[in-house]
Amino acid sequence: MTPAIELLQVSRRFRGSTAPIVAVDHIDLRIEPGEVVALLGPNGAGKTTTLDMVLGLSAPTSGSINVFGMAPRAAVAAGRVAAVLQTGGLLPDLTVAETVEFIAATYSNPEPVTRVLELANLTAISGRRVSKCSGGEQQRLRFALALLPRPDLLILDEPTAGMDVNARRDFWAQMHAEAREGRTVVFATHYLEEADDFADRTVLMSGGRIVADGPTEEIRAKATGRWVSAELADPARAIDRFGGQLVAQRLVVRAADSDLVALALLTEFGATNLEVVSGSLEDAFVALTEGAAK
Amino acid sequence: MTLTILKLEIRRVVRDRVRLFFTAIMPAFFYVIFGAAQSYGSIKVAHGNVAMMIMVAMAAYGAVAATASLGAATAIERATGWGRQLGLTPLGDGQYVAIKSALAVVVAIIPITIVSVIGASTDVEATPKAWVLSISILIGGSVLFALYGLVLGQLVRGEAALGAVSGSLVVLSFLGNLFFPLSGGWLTFARFTPLYGYATLARYPVSDGWVVSSDGDPVHEALWMPLTNVAVWLVILAVAATLLVRRSRARQ
Repeated sequence: MTPAIELLQVSRRFRGSTAPIVAVDHIDLRIEPGEVVALLGPNGAGKTTTLDMVLGLSAPTSGSINVFGMAPRAAVAAGRVAAVLQTGGLLPDLTVAETVEFIAATYSNPEPVTRVLELANLTAISGRRVSKCSGGEQQRLRFALALLPRPDLLILDEPTAGMDVNARRDFWAQMHAEAREGRTVVFATHYLEEADDFADRTVLMSGGRIVADGPTEEIRAKATGRWVSAELADPARAIDRFGGQLVAQRLVVRAADSDLVALALLTEFGATNLEVVSGSLEDAFVALTEGAAK
Repeated sequence: MTLTILKLEIRRVVRDRVRLFFTAIMPAFFYVIFGAAQSYGSIKVAHGNVAMMIMVAMAAYGAVAATASLGAATAIERATGWGRQLGLTPLGDGQYVAIKSALAVVVAIIPITIVSVIGASTDVEATPKAWVLSISILIGGSVLFALYGLVLGQLVRGEAALGAVSGSLVVLSFLGNLFFPLSGGWLTFARFTPLYGYATLARYPVSDGWVVSSDGDPVHEALWMPLTNVAVWLVILAVAATLLVRRSRARQ
């Protein structure tokens, strides 16, 4: 089957003031039709740059990208792919319905405007100027625009940024409905719980690279592990068994099951001054990135 | 499909009351000062009088100011992210530039009509043929300056674009022989500037190409000169506008 998205050795560099900035660094990624994938990573990981290239908004410096076997721009023109962008602008002087009408006019066979307004729960405010809409309402409008071509692939770049808890919950409920209809959904987020609640598969990005890719369960276990650190007489032997590294004479190990590691260190390796701390998601990114660099 | 977009774009223009007011009133005000109130207005030229020449110049200024500021506003609205939104649709870059150009022509009709009505009801005299041709050229040629505004707006980023457009238009208007007759080296240089071609072409049906120069001797322009000027600028600006619009899809 033709993959929904296929990236081969894709890089994207930007001109920097001194040296070129590598936003995306030789990534390979294949997403099959029907998958729901989270692109998880901290700010500056290269998520938006990657999605921009998949949408044909910018071109890769090197490497190749196919969307349903087509060039990205061709897939967009054919209405196979649509997106809700983090920084997608709207015209403040148009009303909600006019905005939908405007974008609908660019497609040859769009979903009817009234139907899209209904799906995005905008019917009640269809006559309102965009400038008078709240952040959540504007985000629903962007979502409505993405539904117009009846896309097979829906790309969402931090779709819930700026939404309150209720709006966020409603949004994801709608996304579940979209996914049930067999759409491929790829979304970027820096909330681990969003990936956890919604994605079957999580691709973890950091520093322009994919540092982990697998079922969300697995990624979460890695990302939510704890740090165990201790002083040891013979740290080399412990490193052989648990991995980790020496920081200021202390062994530092990240473990999914910290109790087990702590117990072994204390009983088998004679560790002293042992500490267990839970790492933040940022720590996990750092750890995984260092792992990938080795 | 493009008609729906054009309809919505016109609606947006109409909603911006303040800008609409200045678009409509400024050139009329200029005409009243420079043209209608002057005694030399009744001097005859080939197919009309000097008041008609001044009226066409002011209508040209009004049309250019309206279309160029629209072009600059387009560049600003693309930079705020609307360009990315449109980049996610099948709408081609050339198609988009064409829609905005069509919109500019519609907007240019406003000052041209108002100045013409004031001119016709004061001392402007011209043959019916000169009227029809001059006004058609004024309307059609205004596309050039929608593209000019769009290009300048993409080169000068942000809100500074509007200032760059209106400032440069004043300079180009002087070089275009709109406010004050040029001569000598200035006139030679002016022939290569876009407003000169547009204004000279629009006045051609009235004057048969005779231009008043500041040292008193009338100068004759061959028709191919303003035609070539307009054609060359049209190609340069249309290509540049389309290429720059393509670039504005990326994040800024």
